[in-house]
Amino acid sequence: MTKTDQDYILSIRDVSKSFPGVKALDSVSMDIRRGSIHGIVGENGAGKSTLMKILSGVYTRDSGTIVFDGEEIKSITPHESMQKGLSIIYQEFNLVKTMSVGENIFLGRFKEMKGMRGTHEKARELLDSIGCNISTHKLVSELSVSERQMIEIAKALSFDSKLIIMDEPSSSLTTEEMRKLVDIINQLKEKGITIIYISHKLDEIFQLCDTVTVMRDGQVIDTRPISEYTRADMISMMVGRTIENEFPERPNCVGDILMEVRSLNTRKLRNVSFKLRKGEILGLVGLVGAGRTEIVRAIFGADKVKNHEILIEGKPVRIRKPSDAIEYGIGFVPEDRKIEGLVLPFAVDTNITMACLDSLTKYGFLNESSEKGIAQKHVDALDIKTPSLKTRVENLSGGNQQKCIVGRWLEIKPRILILDEPTRGIDVGAKYEIYLLMKKIVEDGGSIILISSELPEVLNMSNRVLTICDGRITGEFDPTKTSADEIMASAIGLCGEENEYESNYESAI
Amino acid sequence: MNMNLTMKAQSSLKKKFLGFIKEYMILVAIVILALVTAIAEPRFLSLENMTNIMRQFGPLIMVSLGMTFVIIGGFIDLSVTGIVSLVAVVTLSLIEPLGQIPALLIGLALGAICGLLTSTIIISCGALTQAEALFITFGMSTVYGAIALIYTGGETNHLSWVTRDTSLFKAIGQGNVGFISVSFLIFLVVLAILWVFQNKTYMGRAISLTGGNKTAAWLTGININRCIRTIYVICGFMTALGAIVLFSRVTTASPVLGKGYETNAILSVVVGGTSLAGGKGSVLRTVLGVLLVTLLSNCLNMLEVSAYMQVVLRGAILIAAIWLDSTRHR
Repeated sequence: MTKTDQDYILSIRDVSKSFPGVKALDSVSMDIRRGSIHGIVGENGAGKSTLMKILSGVYTRDSGTIVFDGEEIKSITPHESMQKGLSIIYQEFNLVKTMSVGENIFLGRFKEMKGMRGTHEKARELLDSIGCNISTHKLVSELSVSERQMIEIAKALSFDSKLIIMDEPSSSLTTEEMRKLVDIINQLKEKGITIIYISHKLDEIFQLCDTVTVMRDGQVIDTRPISEYTRADMISMMVGRTIENEFPERPNCVGDILMEVRSLNTRKLRNVSFKLRKGEILGLVGLVGAGRTEIVRAIFGADKVKNHEILIEGKPVRIRKPSDAIEYGIGFVPEDRKIEGLVLPFAVDTNITMACLDSLTKYGFLNESSEKGIAQKHVDALDIKTPSLKTRVENLSGGNQQKCIVGRWLEIKPRILILDEPTRGIDVGAKYEIYLLMKKIVEDGGSIILISSELPEVLNMSNRVLTICDGRITGEFDPTKTSADEIMASAIGLCGEENEYESNYESAI
Repeated sequence: MNMNLTMKAQSSLKKKFLGFIKEYMILVAIVILALVTAIAEPRFLSLENMTNIMRQFGPLIMVSLGMTFVIIGGFIDLSVTGIVSLVAVVTLSLIEPLGQIPALLIGLALGAICGLLTSTIIISCGALTQAEALFITFGMSTVYGAIALIYTGGETNHLSWVTRDTSLFKAIGQGNVGFISVSFLIFLVVLAILWVFQNKTYMGRAISLTGGNKTAAWLTGININRCIRTIYVICGFMTALGAIVLFSRVTTASPVLGKGYETNAILSVVVGGTSLAGGKGSVLRTVLGVLLVTLLSNCLNMLEVSAYMQVVLRGAILIAAIWLDSTRHR
């Protein structure tokens, strides 16, 4: 080790880690400069999270050395690593929801704080130091996601952390909340705290980081100062090949009207009416909670509906439960693939054939050989990376999991495929593949309803965009002719109670 | 299973062996238990004791096989206690007026109807968690048990009091084909049918998918309510079969005959390695679970361990099995 300990707070040398059948980390080395913001980017499954879990002591490494703050770390428990000054803030926070903010920050250390009064006083000081004015007596369950993140940061500071690792901190923050987080991270940097920032979102990486390490397939591809990267470089290093564009060319094969939804009303939705054409990608844009997911769930028969009328090819249909929708050739890729989409402990093939089990059944018996054939067909066609058909789906990366769900619906040859946040938590390369897949579906005569919180995705893929605000459709746009700002304004509901879309729609009937 | 096979192929022989031991810890436990008892008490290996074990095995395995499907489907059924009692007293009382074959068939149908009733209540309550099912089936168990008490007026009836022909029940209870008991043969047939049902049919798959993730199963068009109904009907039917095997062996049917069957059946299923979390499990594993539980009580009796201590040991084993299940998936 030629570099001095003064320069680097953390040196990782040749760290490897294997899980059954997978080499998660292959001789990874990196140095984190003291007081810098160090970004780590890479696709899902690149080994970022494994590395972080080794640092914090959740996993033990197979080989290699780790030197933190001039001291070699052999084996460590998560608690010891925090006391040494290394904190990790995970995507899913480690907070006790039924306890107060102050209690959470000093959980298990009330004695050191000289009782509850001391705890709350110290917590107040810490929160003030990062410009956060949440009451220390408030319960964590009452806080928003971004406020909870502040509490996690305060907790990390309470251990006098020298290094704070943030794992995808922005995944559920709004733009405003994100701005606040950036401020806080910069403040921490001024205090001399080193930050390791893991993210999928390259915008943030370029905005925040001083140095960036790109990882792929358990290896470090490169570490450079941010100024030496271009966006395209970084993406091609992450995926291991050059991607010209982030989006494929917009499909253009819109045909006749396929489905019409008339005055859909639920507890949340008011008078939603729209048409979907054959070969069309229809984007639904709105803030989280505006009712986008509720619209598609109602169409799919997954939610209770007060009154509505759905016509497919001009004929009224009754859809009361998901199996009805499937009969009419509607597929639904839900928002949360782990909770609503996959049966995680089950094999890849079982997950793929879930929606077409009926067609595999004869006299109540399953045809196992054709089941295997179907699963294999989609694994090949969608290029799902899995060791075998019998691998548990929970062991696949996010992108491959999502492809399993899409493959599941392709097997029923859907006329309408509903995609709710199809690329959430998926890396750039897999995203592009999902876009290509969408394009292929509409070119083969299917239609897609696309919901996404990533505006560029909707604008670049859709043929038509509907904006939704507070349970109503507030506007209809052609994304090739409209600016993102105009669409956002309509989605935020700047168009008032009088609603042009709704009145136009009624007069058209 | 196949998943384990592919994983094993990749690792070395030693890992393969360790993996096998970890997966089938229960086999090791059974062998050790049998060896220790055989050394300490040679009577354990006598033909008489073996037949005895086979007979004790009979009723519990039927109930446990039924319970396996309920647990794979992500639910639980405590009502088996009440069903065992109710089916036993009703079947025995019907031999005199109707003859033995009608009595047997009505008994089996009664079990299935009890299961149907329980599942209907579960569905109409919208209960989708194991905890809710726990309370509902506990309530139903009390109801079935109470009906049995009302039906008999609290009396215990004996098979020997029946003046009609009872040869069928005697055969189930005591008959042998060669050295294999009739109840064991019934078990083999039922096991084969249930194994095929679990692994080869649409419904078997739908039940595991429902147990694995109810929301995902429903969103892919699987009729969850039908699955819930099926698992409870199977469990009710198998429990009725267990009840008939049981009262044929002990030749009496009291309205509290089923006491303890719910805990022993759940214990056997979980010890066998079917996950309480739902989705994963197999009827074959349950066979091993029941074998261990029956052997354990036989061995402890042989070694003259007090009845109270046996209960403690059983509890300890259940906890160990749940702990093992949670570590296996890490």
